[in-house]
Amino acid sequence: MIVDAHIYLGTSLFGYGQSLQEISNNMEHLGISKAVLVPVKPRDYHMGPMNELVANAVRKHPDRFLGLCRVDPWQGEAAVVEVQKRFEEHGACGLYLDPWEENFQANDKITYPIIEEAKRYNKPVVLNAGHARVSHPTQIRDIASQYPAVQFVACNGGQINISGMLLFEARRMLDACPNIAIETAGTYREDFIEEVVTEVGEDRVLFASGNPVYDQKFEMTRIQFAHLTEAQKEKLWEANALRIFGV
Amino acid sequence: MAGKCAVCRSDEAMSSSFLIDELVTCTCSESRMIIDSHTHVDRFGWYDPPETIIRLMDEARVGKSVIMTYVDAPDVKGSLEYIAEAVQKYPNRLIGYARMNPRRGEEAQQLFRKAMEEYGFKGLKLHTAGCRCHPARQETIDLIRLATKYDAPVLFHCGDEEFTLPLQIAEAANACPDATVILGHCGGYFHTEDALRAAERYPNIILETSGMPYPRVIKEAVKRVGAGRVLYASDGPGCDPTIEVHKVKMAGLHGDDEEAIFYRNIKKILDNVAVRRT
Repeated sequence: MIVDAHIYLGTSLFGYGQSLQEISNNMEHLGISKAVLVPVKPRDYHMGPMNELVANAVRKHPDRFLGLCRVDPWQGEAAVVEVQKRFEEHGACGLYLDPWEENFQANDKITYPIIEEAKRYNKPVVLNAGHARVSHPTQIRDIASQYPAVQFVACNGGQINISGMLLFEARRMLDACPNIAIETAGTYREDFIEEVVTEVGEDRVLFASGNPVYDQKFEMTRIQFAHLTEAQKEKLWEANALRIFGV
Repeated sequence: MAGKCAVCRSDEAMSSSFLIDELVTCTCSESRMIIDSHTHVDRFGWYDPPETIIRLMDEARVGKSVIMTYVDAPDVKGSLEYIAEAVQKYPNRLIGYARMNPRRGEEAQQLFRKAMEEYGFKGLKLHTAGCRCHPARQETIDLIRLATKYDAPVLFHCGDEEFTLPLQIAEAANACPDATVILGHCGGYFHTEDALRAAERYPNIILETSGMPYPRVIKEAVKRVGAGRVLYASDGPGCDPTIEVHKVKMAGLHGDDEEAIFYRNIKKILDNVAVRRT
């Protein structure tokens, strides 16, 4: 079974987006059985309705979809209340924080009350990682170190840098924090994925496409052609995501 | 000419007229040749001996690769010689580019001449973030102009960091209209649109596909500047040449455009490199 740990649902303020039907069609075409849906930041900036859109998709197709709850930490108490509501009443499988699109630093104190909720409900925190100035691997490492009981998932392999200059820092982040896993979407250099699986741990990497920001079919090739064993690939395709998202 | 296929190792191989030098390929292998325009061989920073890229080339059925170090000459002694030795060891598979630090001025120019005239290199690689040198700084322009005297291409690392941005490199392309300026990585993750803009403005800019994760950008590049100005590359061995081949194929191009991107364009550029003394 293939689980895509990161697919955006909705029409984003930033121009990208897709409907549930488009997501289902692509999954069918590519042989993806299950997906974790991530709400986009909509044009009206209100995350609540987008969380509702994701929750509805999960309610309608519980075998096919899981859903993350997304909030903007700058909303303060309202964000905390939204997280509680989504965890308690709507079965969100985790929290999604996007320091890049919501413009906050991943380790800023405004994130603390929200991550406290993730800790309280024992839910993972997925962070759009690797963006200079807001979600640098050192900042992901910093916040993950403060919450060792919380499972963090760093998108983009924890680093987005086509010079490879962040590879070393992302590896240091993973070595320092056993509570951080990485998603494969957009990761610079396939040998980094192979290195993390073989040297850091085969339980620490999740296949994710990040579609439609990244190309779902192309992102699958990073696992298909990886120089890893079939058993290791199975963990990346399925087992690690199911374990982390509590399925 | 018959022999062992350089791509798939089959014994039923024959030479092909469109290939550089005397590369022998198999008629029953992939219907076309692939040349990878940007890969690395190094023992100074990351350790990637030539055998690593050769193995990945075989997996990807890539016939030839352009190789360069991760480090700059003259800053790292012996770096050009290491590339020259790798090419000498695999003359039918590897093509050398000289990665240089323009800030080293005349010393860099002398070494580049040596690389071209004595070692048989075919191009210049500039990683202007690595050597902290603006693409349009005078020393960079001087080195680009020297490469142009050999009709040698100039491959820039072109991504998201200072001194590697497409519009910064475009200034150099504008200052050196006779140079063939290749934007390696096509602007990286966040500057692909600037790379396309730069290529639209300056006809001597070529776009290169390695590392950047968007098949749609390759399709857009072909639409806006033509397949004749796009090169396949992997940035291997870190980025897997097989996956990078699939990325180009996923752009959904016509066969003739794919053929241009996979080998015809780079072959034409490299065939044009002159062996002369400056």
